[in-house]
Amino acid sequence: MKPEVPVALQKLSLSLLLEIGPAIGVEYVQRGAGISAMMLQMAAEEWDRAAARRVEENAALRALFREAAALAGAALGARLREAAAGEDRDLRVSALEASNQALRALLVELHAHVETLDSPEARRLEEAIWTELRRSTERRALPLAPF
Amino acid sequence: MADLSERFAAYASHRWPDARDVRVEGLVRIHGGASRETYRLVLRCRRGAGEEEHRLILRRDPPGSLIETERAVEFRAYTAFHGTAVPVPAALWLEEDTRWLDRPFFVMQEVRGGEASPQALFAPPYSAHLERIGERKWTLLGEIHRADPEALGMTEVLEKVPLDACWRRELDHWERVIDEDELEPQPIARAAIRWLRRHPPRPAAKLAVVHADYRTGNFLVSPEGEILAILDWEMTHLGDPLEDLAWSLNRIWCWARDDRAGGLLPRERAIAVWERASGLRADPEDLRWWEVFSSVKGLAIWISGAKEYSSGANSDPVLGMAGWWLGNSQDRAMLETLGHLR
Repeated sequence: MKPEVPVALQKLSLSLLLEIGPAIGVEYVQRGAGISAMMLQMAAEEWDRAAARRVEENAALRALFREAAALAGAALGARLREAAAGEDRDLRVSALEASNQALRALLVELHAHVETLDSPEARRLEEAIWTELRRSTERRALPLAPF
Repeated sequence: MADLSERFAAYASHRWPDARDVRVEGLVRIHGGASRETYRLVLRCRRGAGEEEHRLILRRDPPGSLIETERAVEFRAYTAFHGTAVPVPAALWLEEDTRWLDRPFFVMQEVRGGEASPQALFAPPYSAHLERIGERKWTLLGEIHRADPEALGMTEVLEKVPLDACWRRELDHWERVIDEDELEPQPIARAAIRWLRRHPPRPAAKLAVVHADYRTGNFLVSPEGEILAILDWEMTHLGDPLEDLAWSLNRIWCWARDDRAGGLLPRERAIAVWERASGLRADPEDLRWWEVFSSVKGLAIWISGAKEYSSGANSDPVLGMAGWWLGNSQDRAMLETLGHLR
């Protein structure tokens, strides 16, 4: 698809910011156009990485669950093993996102469970979870974000 | 806008029965916080022998917003602080009857000659006065917290929370917002909430008026660097003053410039200014609790806005952008305060 989607989004954003926006006489609408232009810039950034970051994160979470299954009780352990055995065969972003949400919901449960355990293995796993959470924010980082 | 102008003129005539030739000019919508529709207008009329001109701000409830807030409380906050050391616009009318403008609203005087936008504040002529603005910002926050809520009449409209329950009340509220509005799992916020419940702060040193959105961007500054008015009291409540201090220090309000709190002062200096003005002490551990909490609250607000935007309840792009732009930054701020951003 040419022009590439990010190229088109960036051009639309600049047009909105530099041509259409200034021609709008109403201050409130003009500012809305500026914010919309920023959203188009962010969408252009996200377009390219959308599938990659989800595939990477889903794989990281499944690997974490494989290691964690032995530390969890029977019921949670079984769910962790089942999730760890999953694969991303459908590479549409909507399908990857659905898998990602299911995996991150399970991560919430695992994290809460690990916090209740008192062992060196649990502390190592907890540290691994925090490392993954930090990486999750790096995968989602936007260049224009305030922090 | 013509219809809204006429309807507002009719309302003004109702409020001022002795006024003649009441008309509204130049009514325009402006950005003024994401929880209410904000309009600027000029109201002209004749009362007695003379012609009067009133430059006003109209704040009307929207169909959906970032934050569900009580307009009567915001109105009361403006009324309470007007004429004190804390500059606020004069509040004029509060109207809950929907027959006038379809939704409840309130009206206040416009404070002219000031700038609130952080982007503008970090450029000339304002950028020459950032230290001064910072000193005033945290001095005024201290003044808000030094004030007696009872004497201000704020206890008539706000719940008097026991000192040892301030933290729980706020955490329960904002956790409930995340429960109700999240569109995706929030593993960092959930971990932060568990940490907050395991490590509660000490009881509040005093029950203070908490502005609850005290940050760079919510006050008007003159070109000479004077703070002309503190705005956006829509989440005001009674609680622990450290809640406000923590919110004002939150990383996402640094606006990507550097480590200065609110883009204005080094963090430790901001705290010292607040301590001097409020007469209170910011215990580091208690403040850290409130800083983690402030990121949970921030995230809850961005989550709510994203839900409103996604559902179509409110199509203001600022709600969508906040979800993208601030959500991840808020997660990172949470990780940093919890000591996991290494």
